[in-house]
Amino acid sequence: MGKYILKRTLNSILTVMIVFVAVFMLLRLMPLSGYFPPEMIKETDEATRMSYLRNQGLLDHPLVQLGRFIGQLFQGNLGRSLTVYPKVPIATLLAEKIPVTAAFGFASMIIGIVLGLSLGMLMVRFKDRWGDHLGTGYILMVRAIPSLIYLFFIQVWVSLWLNLDMVFYDDKPTSWILPVICLSLGSIAWYALWLRRFMVDEENKDYVKFALVKGLSKKQVWREHIFKNAIIPLVIYLPSDLLFIISGSLVIETLYVIPGTGGLLTTAIEKQDNNLVQVIVLMYAVLSVLGVFLGDLLIAAVDPRITLTEDK
Amino acid sequence: MKRMIAFLLAMVMMFSVAATSALGEDVAAAAEAIKQSKTYETTYNTYFSSSYSSFNYFSTAYATVREIVANCIDGLVEPDIYGVYAPSLAEDWDVNEDQTVWTFKIRQGLKWIDHNGNETEYALTAQDFVDGIRYIGDPKNDAYSLRVVRNLISGLYDYYWLLDDIDCGLVTDKNRDDVVASFDEMVGVKALDEYTVQYTLENSAPYFLSLIESSMLMLPVEYDYAMALGDDFAVDNEHMLYCGAYYVSAFERDKAITLTANPYYWDKENITLDTVEYQMIPDGTTSLEMFKRGMIDYTSVESEAYDSLQGTEYADNLLPTSHSFSTNYLWLDFDGENAEFKTFINNENFRKALLYSMDREVLAALREPVDPARILRNTINAEGAIYDSTGKDYTDYSPLKEIKETNYNNPELAREYMEKAVAELCDENGNIKGVEATTVDYLPVCSFDIDGKLPVTICYVGTDDEEEIIMAQLFKAMIEESIGADYIDFQIQAFAGWTYGTVADPLNYDIYFDSLSTGYADPSGILTRLTTDGAENVGCYNVPEYDALIEKALAAETFEERLQYFAEAEAYLCGNGFVIPFISSLRGYYMSNSIPYTSPRTLYGNEKYKGTLVMAEPLTQEEFETLKAAYEIEREKALAGE
Repeated sequence: MGKYILKRTLNSILTVMIVFVAVFMLLRLMPLSGYFPPEMIKETDEATRMSYLRNQGLLDHPLVQLGRFIGQLFQGNLGRSLTVYPKVPIATLLAEKIPVTAAFGFASMIIGIVLGLSLGMLMVRFKDRWGDHLGTGYILMVRAIPSLIYLFFIQVWVSLWLNLDMVFYDDKPTSWILPVICLSLGSIAWYALWLRRFMVDEENKDYVKFALVKGLSKKQVWREHIFKNAIIPLVIYLPSDLLFIISGSLVIETLYVIPGTGGLLTTAIEKQDNNLVQVIVLMYAVLSVLGVFLGDLLIAAVDPRITLTEDK
Repeated sequence: MKRMIAFLLAMVMMFSVAATSALGEDVAAAAEAIKQSKTYETTYNTYFSSSYSSFNYFSTAYATVREIVANCIDGLVEPDIYGVYAPSLAEDWDVNEDQTVWTFKIRQGLKWIDHNGNETEYALTAQDFVDGIRYIGDPKNDAYSLRVVRNLISGLYDYYWLLDDIDCGLVTDKNRDDVVASFDEMVGVKALDEYTVQYTLENSAPYFLSLIESSMLMLPVEYDYAMALGDDFAVDNEHMLYCGAYYVSAFERDKAITLTANPYYWDKENITLDTVEYQMIPDGTTSLEMFKRGMIDYTSVESEAYDSLQGTEYADNLLPTSHSFSTNYLWLDFDGENAEFKTFINNENFRKALLYSMDREVLAALREPVDPARILRNTINAEGAIYDSTGKDYTDYSPLKEIKETNYNNPELAREYMEKAVAELCDENGNIKGVEATTVDYLPVCSFDIDGKLPVTICYVGTDDEEEIIMAQLFKAMIEESIGADYIDFQIQAFAGWTYGTVADPLNYDIYFDSLSTGYADPSGILTRLTTDGAENVGCYNVPEYDALIEKALAAETFEERLQYFAEAEAYLCGNGFVIPFISSLRGYYMSNSIPYTSPRTLYGNEKYKGTLVMAEPLTQEEFETLKAAYEIEREKALAGE
């Protein structure tokens, strides 16, 4: 196991490095004019723009820039934002934004798991009856209707009916309710859908029939066999879900004006903020690799049939 | 008989003056009654729609910061409620005869305050204004939008580029520190004593006060404080100092900003609001809903929302936005790869055909559905932005006045001009002379085939913004209908990744839509950028006649002569279709809980909250009209010196 972990760690580091260097170099292929908003291009002459770029170190050779960035990283310095929040230290930005997004992400993840799994079990328990129809209706609604429509409906009308705020305020807990609900809607549907499917699969397997014939109660078979086996394929996603609570939702954070990380990467790419893009990409690459790695470890821990190394 | 007529005329005039005066008094009384009948709040709740990326007023490229800075850092002068420049941090000022040396007397005893509203040890002196220029003059400080100020203040251009040459190794025989130390000798801004600052300019600048109002680069800075912070200067509210009516007491990035009244402010008695609470609301629907729920005191109302409010309780609260000095125009590519368009756009008749082919009112109705005519604009510089010493509007100088008043919606004339262009540029079979069939490469935007024959293929490139797409479709319909689809094949490319660097700069378009804004009270701000080698001539036209007129304007001896040459130059550019302005950037309507015309009438700078009166309920149209009428009468009297 220790050997496996070491091997995977080295592989993970290599993967992150390849992703990061590729993104870093691709960013340097972008046109120089992209570093300036249109109004600035119109206001300044070419020489002034070049002077600015030189002062920011953007005219240096990409390998020099890469070396400088790695050097900064080892000193614990993530650099400063270039265009999105000019000169603001990126560490400050992330320290401001990640906790907000993570709090919402964590709350919605817990709600998504608890309600999603409950709904999934309800659907299986009342298969082809009201519980199943209710759940199917909910899943269909969430997945088929474009999310902007119901999110907007919740923000404008539900807030009016329940007398809640339309936007988030950090000092008013009641204003957190609607964004958390909105963030959870999709994951509730996801967990319910897949749990139902896996449980129905398990229900029809021979070992279940055998257990029932053997005299185990239906409740016992459900709890100790069907649910346990059905949840295993979902467990693998939990570490990634947990780690990516910091990535935020562009739409919901924009609607409720949550000052989090949702949309930060998109904005940074759009405004060609190389420094910010490379830090966020590095962060997400690490989280992705770590998420998959932890998922593998977790599934091995919960399912004794799975081993990560070849036992001899 | 003549005496009788003269007597009667005199009587009529007397009665009309008396009647006007009586009417004026009635309006003033009605306006006063409105103001008296209200109770006023001490907090103003408003919003911002895009992020405040930084508060660094010298180096931020984003316009949003101006809103905060206008209230937190005072300049030397500011407009009064009638728009006349009045003392601000300068108590008094003086200018020499040719308006090249401006001397300002600074208020004494003022200190910079911090984000807690406490006075710091830093006194506000003339040196802070000198240091503002010192800060922007160093390329390492990345000052934004330097061009105008750098070219105007004597010696600043040479100082800046000398430092830059040293930084990039072009000059090696001079030491950077020595050059920085020589700032006071090299650059035409001096602290004559602790409270007197003097600017020496390269050229006569009668508009200098308006530049002080509009440009953040003319603001003061506490240099030692800023330099000690380095890159951290003004990245948030805690890393800057304040000398305006308010300071930023709380700042949550991308979320909220609180302005609190400066307890040490020099004009404290005119501060009517204790607090201004900003919150970020990126979309118009949310701001409208929040205004209805009483959460904010102001909201803009876009044209779609305007229609939805008709027949509701808010219909009576919709007020028209007053002015915008920004002009929307069509930018044309004179040197692109599309040989069909290139051949035609360099032809005067074709440009005039385009000029006369659009019904600008229909385009304007997208933004102003009620009275689209009020946002039409045929000139680049806005009407009401620039006046000569006699009060004559710049756009009333001939021949610009004729351009301003022309109705360009004339499909017959458009077709006529096109036929002339076709006669000059095509053979009898409709082949465009000198143009071969080929593929035009405007990638990453698009690529398309041209056949070298009529109709002329035009590639219009816009963003994927919904309103812009509708506008592009209207352009297509109008141009193809007026000039004729047999002559024009108007293709629309809505490019999702639209940036200046991918579309405009590499000439990946034939026509696109952009805007220009009159930044201060002189046409040079825009017009000098539109010359053949000007920064704004991204379409690469060649206009020696225009360039010559600009040269003459810049060398003119009087301001009136200068305006005359500028008016001729602008008329040349617009009348010949090198640039096609069509509407102002004004956007529809708003609703507000504040009484209008009580704060400084800022034309070129941003709104100031000093003097703002905020009510608990929205202002109605009737109240607005009464207050406006009373204000106009008062302003007229004030400008006449009564």
